Amino acid sequence: MTVEVPLRQKQQTTSAVPVLDRRMVAALLAITVVIGAVAGILRLVLGLGATTNLSDSYSWGIWIGFDFGLIALAGAGFTMAAVGHVLRRHEYHAAVRPAILAGLAAYVAVLLLLVLDLGRPDRFYNFMLFWNPHSPLFEVSWCILLYTGVLVLETSPFFLERLRWRWAGKVIRIVAFIMLPVAILGVTLSTLHQSTLGTLYLNMPYRLHALWYTPLLPLMFFTSAVMAGLSMGAIAYWVAGRVVHKPVQPRVIFGLARIAAVVGLFYLALKLGEVIIAGDIGLALAPTHYAALWWFELLVCVALPAALILLPGKTLQRTGIGLALIIFGVLMNRFDATMFAQILPPGASYSPSLIEWLSTAGILAAAALAWILGVRFLPIFETGEADHHATTE
Amino acid sequence: MNEVMSRRTFLKHAGVGAAVCAAGGLAVQPALASEGTSSANAWGVLVDLTRCNGCDSCALACKQANQRPEEDQIPNQLSSDSYSFVDRRVYVGDAGQEQQMPVKRQCMHCLHPACVSACTVGALTKTPDGPVVYDSSKCIGCRYCQYACPFGVPTYDWANPLGLIHKCQFCISRLDEGEQPACVAGCPTGALRFGTRNDLLAQAHSQIDSNPGRYIDQIYGESELGGTSVLYLSGVPFAAMGLPTLDSQSPSRYAEAVMRKTPVIGLTVAALASGAYWLTKRREFLAQPEVVPQEVNHDR
Repeated sequence: MTVEVPLRQKQQTTSAVPVLDRRMVAALLAITVVIGAVAGILRLVLGLGATTNLSDSYSWGIWIGFDFGLIALAGAGFTMAAVGHVLRRHEYHAAVRPAILAGLAAYVAVLLLLVLDLGRPDRFYNFMLFWNPHSPLFEVSWCILLYTGVLVLETSPFFLERLRWRWAGKVIRIVAFIMLPVAILGVTLSTLHQSTLGTLYLNMPYRLHALWYTPLLPLMFFTSAVMAGLSMGAIAYWVAGRVVHKPVQPRVIFGLARIAAVVGLFYLALKLGEVIIAGDIGLALAPTHYAALWWFELLVCVALPAALILLPGKTLQRTGIGLALIIFGVLMNRFDATMFAQILPPGASYSPSLIEWLSTAGILAAAALAWILGVRFLPIFETGEADHHATTE
Repeated sequence: MNEVMSRRTFLKHAGVGAAVCAAGGLAVQPALASEGTSSANAWGVLVDLTRCNGCDSCALACKQANQRPEEDQIPNQLSSDSYSFVDRRVYVGDAGQEQQMPVKRQCMHCLHPACVSACTVGALTKTPDGPVVYDSSKCIGCRYCQYACPFGVPTYDWANPLGLIHKCQFCISRLDEGEQPACVAGCPTGALRFGTRNDLLAQAHSQIDSNPGRYIDQIYGESELGGTSVLYLSGVPFAAMGLPTLDSQSPSRYAEAVMRKTPVIGLTVAALASGAYWLTKRREFLAQPEVVPQEVNHDR
């Protein structure tokens, strides 16, 4: 309980921030969205060659990097739905809604990024018409589509509870009735596509560096998505509290961070153990940028945050740094797999074009803005334990 | 409604959820690329690098047959405008002498093609006759095939706002008319030979046996990635010719082994999640001391 004191102080300083600052954040995000939309439209009209620095030897860039990274972070949706709806851990109840809303915002951003990256965006629906069930991207496409539907259902009570129409109550009851199987479906679809994003790289044994390439990639991608999802769940709850200027319960953040850190230790053992057993530890000790990236991912973004979160004498600030490092590390892992840990064909090089940067920034800003507005105007942030009943049960 | 009832309805719901997952996963599974689909009479091309004089006739014939732009311009890489080209390699021998080595490159038409396994929409397929063909009408331009191919063969048409993938199709329409692939027909030196893969392998082996000084004792493509339809004979090591050193197994074997388990993984996760929910509910129920159920129900 002692930890509540610094938080309250923080809370007061937050409340002292003038309203204009929030408006300025919103305005900046909105401007980024508008610029990004222009960049995105230019890309769609002019094509990939004219607007990107992608090439045959470097065909996936920051759109795919952020896409796969964002999917892992959006694991907040399914991990917190599992904690809240399936495992019914009431102590984390307050963090469920911010996380699920963040999941929806992130998955819509993922879909937009994917459309920008497709060479034939006009045919995005072809994966529904032409099936190749042993293609990892085929499975990922279907899971993303279906899971976005699950997220719409899971977030629908937030909107319905705002409506004063007569039928809204009836719809809420219907949604509440099906919420458990929907949540289980969401957990299932997420487990499948989070792991299948790892399977995707199994088709590239000669492109992905041996420190990353292993048949265990699906398990590693799933584990790191759980780790990142729980961390995002804690951070989303924390930030949501600041958006609505209400105090957060530190034990929710500490609790989620602790689970994320324990999952992180398992992930660390998995990554390290695999490289040792496969006899690739020599690659990790060689003076290459691959080894540096690999150790950075494991030491700075898994081991260090686990220590910050788990060692005695924890504070909210220390835990927050740990959570941020975990999130950055998982994002980086997806970028490494897509770009920096790839063994490039001779002469291949890539630096993202302005249009790639602006369109990515615009989509990320749109997701952030939508989430902030949602937290501000919908019943997302609940302070106490007393309001279970307002949700799905 | 009491606790027992709600648990029963829960099980019903969980069943529906599991069925939905299973329906998605148990869809028809076509043959796996890692298992191979080629017949014994599948076509092949034997490239004898010792006979190639680097005249580029094959690459120009290829452009013409595929109606690529700038028909008379000699290509120096694979691109959406050229599905084959003659690579220029310099081989430095043991005594330090340099040797100009032209190496004809194009799609290898793998027996276990990773591009086919990877393609999101099944636009790439391996025909039983050997060619790995591409159906441009299905392609969404995700470019996963470019990452799956160990030879860097599929290329994207970057200049086109609605660009597509381009690759050698083994001149499948010419094969249908009983003709040889354009590159083979255009080769003046006999460096390219067309036939069934089995015949070509037998011929290549006897060539190596009867000319031990001329060739190194390896046929590139006989075992690489589990075999390729295009085979190479060379007098110098293949790695020096820019042909990557690859093991003899399908590059898709791990991915396909995992993908096949999709329905099992999905059903297991759904079952575990349902079980976990049931256990928590039961623990909550048992922990309640003498609660009157009606009280709970009036909440919502």
